[in-house]
Amino acid sequence: MTRLQTFAEDRAEIMGLRRRTVLKGGAALGVGTLAVGAAGFGGGAQAAPKEVVVANWGGDAVKAMTEAFVVPYEKATGGKMVIDGSGPSNGKIKTMVLAKNVTWDLVDSGLAGTGELGPAGLLEEIDYSIVDKSKVTPGFAYKYGVCNYMFSTVQAWDTSRIKEKPTLADFFDLKKYPGKRLMRKDSQAMLELALMADGVPADKLYPLDVPRALKKIAGIKKDLLFWGTGAESQSMLREGEVVMGWLWHTRGVLLQKDTNKKITFTFDGGLLQPGLWAVPKGNPAGKQAMVAIAAMQAPEGQVKLLAAMGNGPANPAAAPLVPPELNAINPGAPENVKVQAKIDADWYQANYAKVRQQFLDMIAS
Amino acid sequence: MTADRRTSWIMIAPALVLVAVLFFAPLARVLVISVTEPSFGLGNYAMLFTSASIQRTLLTTLRICVFTTAITLVLAYLVAYVLTHARPAAQRLMLLGVLLPLWMSVLVRAFAWVTLLRREGLFNKALEALGLIDHPLSLMWNETGVTIGMVHYMLPLGILPLWAAMRDIDGRVLAAARGLGAGPVRTFLRVFLPLSLPGVIGSGLLVFIFSLGFFITPAILGGGKTIMVAEYIDTQIQESLRWGVGTMIASTLIAAIFLLMFVLGRIVDLRTLFGAK
Repeated sequence: MTRLQTFAEDRAEIMGLRRRTVLKGGAALGVGTLAVGAAGFGGGAQAAPKEVVVANWGGDAVKAMTEAFVVPYEKATGGKMVIDGSGPSNGKIKTMVLAKNVTWDLVDSGLAGTGELGPAGLLEEIDYSIVDKSKVTPGFAYKYGVCNYMFSTVQAWDTSRIKEKPTLADFFDLKKYPGKRLMRKDSQAMLELALMADGVPADKLYPLDVPRALKKIAGIKKDLLFWGTGAESQSMLREGEVVMGWLWHTRGVLLQKDTNKKITFTFDGGLLQPGLWAVPKGNPAGKQAMVAIAAMQAPEGQVKLLAAMGNGPANPAAAPLVPPELNAINPGAPENVKVQAKIDADWYQANYAKVRQQFLDMIAS
Repeated sequence: MTADRRTSWIMIAPALVLVAVLFFAPLARVLVISVTEPSFGLGNYAMLFTSASIQRTLLTTLRICVFTTAITLVLAYLVAYVLTHARPAAQRLMLLGVLLPLWMSVLVRAFAWVTLLRREGLFNKALEALGLIDHPLSLMWNETGVTIGMVHYMLPLGILPLWAAMRDIDGRVLAAARGLGAGPVRTFLRVFLPLSLPGVIGSGLLVFIFSLGFFITPAILGGGKTIMVAEYIDTQIQESLRWGVGTMIASTLIAAIFLLMFVLGRIVDLRTLFGAK
């Protein structure tokens, strides 16, 4: 669990905690490590060819995805879909593909996954003759991955110590608001928010000026803490370790609830990012994986996922189906999209591996 | 080969096979990957000399491990000394105190330290209430916090070999030193300390080697800024997919440990250290 967590992994953990059973809490803490043992034994390798195995990060995400996706898929196609919650980390996918023993058809991934795995030849290309590009918010359908849901990296703050809504620039103003700040231990979204704080307009971020962003962050490094897991980001704000922080909107929503809005967040100046479906090279069900993706593009299931886990629907057609009270926490709601920057996958494809290491080197030096 | 020897070989054969298949074979694969990915050769190993990022991580690891080992040894020596000279009843109670944390999950212990050391934690609150400080001390989210957590974890591992070594010291030797006119300090420095030295080296070695591979404690108490080598390897394997680099560092670590054992083996008999003789 101390390993750097992905958004999907954390979201599964949130679901696990919401049930508040001891067992689930324990499972959530151990997600990263426990899952390793189960990886090789994920179901479906010997099953009928049409069965589609979807790998996600376990916990109640299994239940939520079953309701949102499996039931409609099986009804629509007559095929079978199995959810395997053992956690599709990059390392595990690479192991499977190299060993030619792939048991997953679809993995719940993100740009950190497709950016590293795609160029290394470990993923199938998304077949847009089957998957409908028009059912994806423009800009979120890529060669090696297609948007499954949307999430945001946002600025949250402690209203007991910061009375007025802070800007991104205030994040770097230690005189105005003394106290420690919180960032994710990863370059993704952190560089973008730092550049916007430095005055770069949201629509002119890419190609990222990496040295400028790193310099900006290094300037306040002494007062920065870095989180690896979503739970960590939440507890550091709740317990007063930091006065503001950049974290996932799902954790921002939980903080608002837990602290009665003492800790709050805004989508203003946030970064909209996609959760992606990716297909490991040589997946057992072949093209059926693409059919499954197409089925999961139905807006109804995506709205269910928003209600259950706070994931923004990927299909623009879902917007009218979203109940108004959920729009405040929906990163993909039109009013929230307007105030955020949008991540550029092409840039990440070409630069992620190198830049991530540069970022880690900067914070460790 | 006598019948006796043959029987004993047959009896340990299953264990040998198990170790070969489950331990040495994967280890060999790690070595192979480190010289074949991304291309055949020693390119990954050259990074030890060229990559500032790897060098810094190794230095950070070394620094934390040396401090952890030194502090652990001093504290463990004190505890082991008192333990050796305590009455049997007290000794049992103390031993329980030493062993109890050993049975607790490393995660639980790290989070317990978070509660104690954080900005609004017990420690800072108490110091503030006593009027000793105005601003909370930075006790964690840095190398200090990591070292505190690691020393706590390592103490039982440091104490037990030392205690074993000290128990074996013949009390009559000490009595003889006193009888010949040496004071308590001199008896300790000239007789007890040299006799306990194998224990010091043994427990130092154990603690140092364990510290090298530490992962959870630095990740939780380091505030994300203290990246030790285990975490670096994990990032390479799980995230960046630079397996060649990850396995290279892992192999280097193993080689360094073997080298350390070899050098120490020239100084002291390792078999005595680990109680095989």
